Amino acid sequence: MTTTDILVALVLGFAFGWVLDKSGLNRYYKIANVFRFTDLAVLRFMMSGMLVGMVGVYTLKYLGVVDLTAVTATVLAANIVGGLIFGVGMALAGF
Amino acid sequence: MNWIMKQLRKDLWSPEVAGIGLGLVYIFALWFSHRMPGTSGTFFNIAAVVGKPLTANDPINQFFSVSYPPITQGLNWQFYMVVGIFLGALASVLIAGKFKWTLIPIEQWKDVFGGAVWKRWLVAFVGGIIIEIGAGIAGGCTSGLALAGGIQLSPAAFLFIPGIFLTGAITQWLIYRNRY
Repeated sequence: MTTTDILVALVLGFAFGWVLDKSGLNRYYKIANVFRFTDLAVLRFMMSGMLVGMVGVYTLKYLGVVDLTAVTATVLAANIVGGLIFGVGMALAGF
Repeated sequence: MNWIMKQLRKDLWSPEVAGIGLGLVYIFALWFSHRMPGTSGTFFNIAAVVGKPLTANDPINQFFSVSYPPITQGLNWQFYMVVGIFLGALASVLIAGKFKWTLIPIEQWKDVFGGAVWKRWLVAFVGGIIIEIGAGIAGGCTSGLALAGGIQLSPAAFLFIPGIFLTGAITQWLIYRNRY
């Protein structure tokens, strides 16, 4: 890993942390309430981020600028069971 | 200029506006570093960096030296990104003037579950363990699997997300009941 890689990681992480705070996702009540369907900020944030990301990433792919990185393998049981366990922890901790 | 400063000082943005920033972070990460941001792997990375030297000469415990070679080559890209996340969120609260030290979440938690610090820390600790077990089984967390996978249209993400909401909603229903 080069110094440029580290700098890019720090800068992108900084922007990531910034939008996480501005969307309120680092607050307990935002995470807790999305599972009670009383405050959908988490969903609105993640879905709009995914929309922008999908369009941008696939545009760059068709332009031949990027290859899609090794995506997490789809393993039916693991993805589903992992998600079911993850949800319990996320609702409890509020992270 | 004033308008920009006003926006930077805001406590919260509309989630959609922040979401556009989130999408851009993922696009640029793939573009400039050929990686997708994830965070839960950082715990594996740190554990491997600490664990490998400790178990290097142990003939029985070969986990870090044999089973996990890819993440034992020092601190990885993800680790530095997580450091950046901390700095970015810190800068955001400092500029918004909302920085303060607190042992438990003041909003909502205190009203519902009381002010006992040990209770919040215990729940957060246990919840954190469950989160990392789930992420380990599924292959990623909300950032590394749900967002990174979803953006690349991986089926794994769309199997993972409904599960989170199913058990998350049941858990909150059980612990909140009719409170709050």
